[in-house]
Amino acid sequence: MCNEYKIIEEFFYRNREQVKNPIIRSFLADAQNLYLVQHAILYPNDCNLKMVDETFQAHYQRVQKIKYISNLIYFFSLDFDKKKRRLQNRFLLVADSGLMDDGIRDEESEEEGLLEKIENEQLFKGLQKLTDKQLQILEMIYVKDYSIKVIAETLKTTPQNISNLHRKALKKLHHIIRKEEI
Amino acid sequence: MQNNMNEEMLIIIENFTPKIKQCLHQTSYQDREDLEQEIKLKIIEKLTMKEFENTPSFWNFFV
Repeated sequence: MCNEYKIIEEFFYRNREQVKNPIIRSFLADAQNLYLVQHAILYPNDCNLKMVDETFQAHYQRVQKIKYISNLIYFFSLDFDKKKRRLQNRFLLVADSGLMDDGIRDEESEEEGLLEKIENEQLFKGLQKLTDKQLQILEMIYVKDYSIKVIAETLKTTPQNISNLHRKALKKLHHIIRKEEI
Repeated sequence: MQNNMNEEMLIIIENFTPKIKQCLHQTSYQDREDLEQEIKLKIIEKLTMKEFENTPSFWNFFV
């Protein structure tokens, strides 16, 4: 009996650095685990060693899981809040824009031409320099929201032609505005 | 095996409830219930999907 204590004591003394390791210490804190280890030290056969190993591995995995989940909860809640705030910033609630209001305003504005809607002075001057046909096409595309195909039918020409005229108009507009800026 | 795992998960979630509650303060009052549910879902997902490997042998630590 006395001899047994000596062997165990010697074993722990020899490995005193390792015992300070938190994972080992928490494992040995359990009386049942400690008993298994002591038993294995005294009778180091395959069965005993294996039993200690198995319980230790279960313990190790449990610690790993707890550590992992602890981090997971912390970082997940941070990310969750970030995501919520990002969405909130992106979709601001505009309290004074009623649903009905919008519809009425849209109908009214369709009566007006393109030139009446322009607030930018440069853009207005540029648009005035375009030909009537170009202006008409821009108005149909951007104010009335017609498709190229519909515009071609109303003007009795091909969609390709409309597309070309549209592109040319934008190019010219771009050119005019650039020149004014310089 | 399945039952065993579910029970283990329940225990883990129960033990972590205070920590979860504490982390709910990260977000605004309205979103807390959502967050709690999302966290628990995530824990279950991770516990079932993730493999915890590389466990060293106990005797590797000793001479």
